Amino acid sequence: MTNRFGLPDLGVGLGLRTVHYTHIVEAQPEVDWFEILSENYMQTAGRPLEWLDAIADRYPVVMHGVSLSIGSTDPLDRAYLTELRALRDRTRARWVSDHLCWTGVSGKNTHDLLPMPYTEEALHHVAGRVRAVQDFLGAPLALENPSTYVEFAAGQMAPPMMTECEFLGRLAEEADCALLLDVNNVFVSAFNHGFDPRDYLAAVPFDRVVQMHVAGHTHHGTHIIDSHIGPVVDDVWRLLGDAWQRSGGTSVLLEWDAEIPSFEVTHAEALRAKDYIGPRRTTP
Amino acid sequence: MTLRDEQLWFAGAVMSGTALDEADRRLTAGPTLGARERLDVYRRGYESRLVECIADDYPVLKIALGDDAFDALCRAYVARFPSVAPNLNAYGRHMPEMCSDFAADLARLEWAIVEVIHEPSRAPMTMESLAAVAEETWAGAHLVASPALRLLVSEYPANDYFQAVRDGHGPPLPTAQPSATVVYRSGLTVWRMGLTPPMHRVLAALVGGQPLEAALSLAGGEPEEHVTAWFREWVSSGLFVGVEAG
Repeated sequence: MTNRFGLPDLGVGLGLRTVHYTHIVEAQPEVDWFEILSENYMQTAGRPLEWLDAIADRYPVVMHGVSLSIGSTDPLDRAYLTELRALRDRTRARWVSDHLCWTGVSGKNTHDLLPMPYTEEALHHVAGRVRAVQDFLGAPLALENPSTYVEFAAGQMAPPMMTECEFLGRLAEEADCALLLDVNNVFVSAFNHGFDPRDYLAAVPFDRVVQMHVAGHTHHGTHIIDSHIGPVVDDVWRLLGDAWQRSGGTSVLLEWDAEIPSFEVTHAEALRAKDYIGPRRTTP
Repeated sequence: MTLRDEQLWFAGAVMSGTALDEADRRLTAGPTLGARERLDVYRRGYESRLVECIADDYPVLKIALGDDAFDALCRAYVARFPSVAPNLNAYGRHMPEMCSDFAADLARLEWAIVEVIHEPSRAPMTMESLAAVAEETWAGAHLVASPALRLLVSEYPANDYFQAVRDGHGPPLPTAQPSATVVYRSGLTVWRMGLTPPMHRVLAALVGGQPLEAALSLAGGEPEEHVTAWFREWVSSGLFVGVEAG
């Protein structure tokens, strides 16, 4: 099975980080593709865009955002969306993704991926906003399952909360959007909330998954933080292998955001994915 | 409880620590942590993320103040200035307002560096394009400054201190001594150049769009060859992106 949107399997990519700019532009290493953090190249007219132009000329690029705030009850930010679309056009990004979350309310931004209550009200609210964003972009939006550290309690008279995976599946159906499956986030949230990550994968509508993420995390004993630090643990690699087989083949990307090592070390870690997934089925 | 209600409560708890006692009612306990402890993960993350962003923008100010004082300053900053933008590129812009004396001058210098990074770079003006200006219009012509340029006047030698830190000297905090600095970006590199008072007078006039002859006359008693050398260096450094006839 491949994704229903016809989006290509780009292979194994790497999250683009500023500490690697010089190496990438000067050495032009063989990398299947890069994922950029959209907001790093917004509200700037300067150096970040100059680096990005040089890299997007050479490599396939995908955009990954953290401030769309698709779950917020504030109005959608049209200025943000306009800039997002312009950046997509500038980089010829293959697709645009963000997270199933909200980042703030009343005009303030916490710059964190805050958890949604998985209620019917929230489902219909988010689905309407996803449709509006997709209409604006003229393309499917891919939403990522976030790492979460709390779950909302259902009110005494309210129906029980959906599971995150049930919510995502129904959202994807109602909004007809794509999914970015972060298998590290599945692992992190499974530990934090006490569910089996394999049960989560069994409920994912894989025909909507256009990309997967892996990353390192920080285990505090009582809980796990999605810190994007260090190498990917074996359990997460195995989860990737399971998810990738279920998907029938999709683009895979490593995120490394703290104590980032040299480009060669980071890229080598990303390429470990090939030990757990099959060969690429389509070409960009 | 509506989605809006939940979000207003959660954001208030995370950003301002309000109504934390509602955590047990609104959130579930996890396998190992209670509801309030789980909420605290977000509370710690919020403040530390913004403090880290400010520290990225002000690495030398952090050294000047020391880790503890800088951290306290950043926490006060976060409490006073919640972010209202999709990204953190401009989040640290208020830091000079939060500082006084030397720290304020140093903060202005470090913020100027951030600003020129995010300004567009334009193709620099060349001496050849300047030479192409007709002789009869030269005196009244004026230059167009690069958008990626900031001129700073300080009560303290902020740039000297900044450079000494960069050179690994561990300098003492300076006493008051007026100084001027131009911060600019050329290609991918940000540069800083200290200016003497006459250099600053001339450059400020040129950047401000004053006619060439009038601007260059502000050098006071400086020998003409000095002024010519400054001017050539500024042009070759890319401080100007065009010349417009008077």
